Amino acid sequence: MSGTIAAEKASSTTKTPSDFLKSIRGRPVVVKLNSGVDYRGILACLDGYMNIAMEQTEEYVNGQLKNKYGDAFIRGNNVLYISTSKRTLAEDE
Amino acid sequence: MAHNPSQLLPSELIDRCIGSKIWVIMKGDKELVGTLKGFDVYVNMVLEDVTEYEITPEGRRITKLDQILLNGNNIAILVPGGSPDPE
Amino acid sequence: MASEEESAVKEPLDLIRLSLDERIYVKLRSDRELRGKLHAYDQHLNMILGDVEEIVTTVEIDDETYEEIVRSTRRTVPFLFVRGDGVILVSPPLRTA
Repeated sequence: MSGTIAAEKASSTTKTPSDFLKSIRGRPVVVKLNSGVDYRGILACLDGYMNIAMEQTEEYVNGQLKNKYGDAFIRGNNVLYISTSKRTLAEDE
Repeated sequence: MAHNPSQLLPSELIDRCIGSKIWVIMKGDKELVGTLKGFDVYVNMVLEDVTEYEITPEGRRITKLDQILLNGNNIAILVPGGSPDPE
Repeated sequence: MASEEESAVKEPLDLIRLSLDERIYVKLRSDRELRGKLHAYDQHLNMILGDVEEIVTTVEIDDETYEEIVRSTRRTVPFLFVRGDGVILVSPPLRTA
């Protein structure tokens, strides 16, 4: 975490998609697919195609929990967005 | 002279939006408004303090998001300055 | 986070690589699900699965009551090829219940 602080300060006004991808590993994320389905879990890793590996993944359809997966691979072409919250209880400070 | 306004590239226009609000209209029934932090050649975008609007049969669903990486693949229209919607 | 390092997942496809010869769950477009043993895959997520159970879920609206009728059709296939572009999600077998 601490290694990215300098880089973030240097570019406090801009954050490119690749900066974002580097910054979110290991964090809780919400991945929304084009179909409207949400996946909530811990982001293990991702690649330039937005393929995503997640842990402790929960699948929500219309806001309702439908499934849980220990690990999940999501194919990037289905991804609408990857979302993180600024303040996360686990990662705060 | 060197810079003919008619030669303004679309990507330069988006570049000028960095740090300010932008309204993103997706293909299909989805729109987002947020502060543009950056983008790449595919117009994948990093947005902050995002409001997502989904038009569903049950009505309009609004979701607030802190920070997102939006896939550029399904973007239809970008409007600098944010939505005219008062919400 | 350090405890996760043993899984050696450096890129998302590693998760698939670690599932070779294991039974996996595959969620496909148009409400199809597969469970089968992963024999091979490539970077497109084309996959060869063996001993596969396919579940197709359909939702129909009853003409009179307008109720949604959800139907799941199951069948087994000894061996099949999955084209990667239809894949939404792949999950290795659940280690935690």
